Amino acid sequence: MLRALDLANLPDADVVALALEGREAAHRELIVRYERPVFSLVFRMVRNRELAEDLTQDTFVKVLSHLDRYRADFKFSSWLFKIANNVAIDHLRRRQLETVSIDGSPHAMSSDDVESSRFDIGDDAENALEEMEARELGSAIELAIGQLRPEYRSCILLRHVEGRSYEEIATTLDLPLGTVKTYIHRARHELRLALEHTRE
Amino acid sequence: MNHRHLLPNEIDLLVDGEAGFGVAPLRAHLDECHQCRARYEDERVFVDALESMPHFAPDSRLTDRVMGQVPLFVPAHIAARDSVARFLPQPGPARVAVAAVFASVAALVTMGLIWIATQGDAAVFMTGLLGDRLRLTLMGAARDAAVALLGEQALAAVQATGIGAGLLLAGFVLTAFGTVAGIRRLATVSRR
Repeated sequence: MLRALDLANLPDADVVALALEGREAAHRELIVRYERPVFSLVFRMVRNRELAEDLTQDTFVKVLSHLDRYRADFKFSSWLFKIANNVAIDHLRRRQLETVSIDGSPHAMSSDDVESSRFDIGDDAENALEEMEARELGSAIELAIGQLRPEYRSCILLRHVEGRSYEEIATTLDLPLGTVKTYIHRARHELRLALEHTRE
Repeated sequence: MNHRHLLPNEIDLLVDGEAGFGVAPLRAHLDECHQCRARYEDERVFVDALESMPHFAPDSRLTDRVMGQVPLFVPAHIAARDSVARFLPQPGPARVAVAAVFASVAALVTMGLIWIATQGDAAVFMTGLLGDRLRLTLMGAARDAAVALLGEQALAAVQATGIGAGLLLAGFVLTAFGTVAGIRRLATVSRR
């Protein structure tokens, strides 16, 4: 029998191989290993905790149900983030949230529309973003990331929160390397502008 | 001193920790230009803040919810391997002892089979001999039983008239029918 301790010390590829043998413990290990990074990415993409929980669940169900399609020459975490990102982007597209602004949709035609499309990150007492309130710069960055285009957001989160290389991000998001560099450069520029505005 | 200030993408290269051929002059420029150094430091603080953003924890029931929707399929060869593994003790002296016992039994059986294969004539002779002995023993026992039941003279008379075989066959058939009927009767009674 495989013990949890053994699994925790194995590299991703070995845990995936065990999961492909139908080992439930290996499936659970993959979830435990990546639930926080995946949830954080999705949460910062959709800016809604309950929705992020559902989309994270969808991501893991998709990944674990189709492990046989995973190619071992690809980094498992890159494949996982790719699916998580696609799930979040698909959702944003379905909801037609082209721009996710904390100030409300730019397409709002009335003050009611603005109000209904505004992100009120202080509503939910359990909202994890409240954890950031004590850190002024961190909190401002969270808010500013919410204003970025979704593709910029994916790139900047993968680069600076998940610590992925440009090449990995290009593979994960199916984008040319140059495009990834451009997106990250622009995203940083927009974030800095947003932060200057916040400081003023 | 190079009087051209660094471009934004050059600051990015430095902040990203790139170590390519063209980065050394940029880094050297930072040491000489206070303005670019200040921009670099500012960008560094900003990127550090980005990189210190924490991970959020999802609901603690996420794993169970996911596992509730993931179909687990255990391939046949894995299931078979697991079944065997269940009967084996944990790695250690006990497993070594079990392996030694199995190896010894396998070696003995193999040696026995090889001996039989190489001694084919002897095996056929021994089998025939044992068969004859068994047949003679059974016939002797049957004759003794018949003598005890019918007497020596009656048995001789039956053998002489040739009705012995018919009587024996009829007796066997009747006994078999009686046995089957008795068993069915007992089964019916016990079911009630």
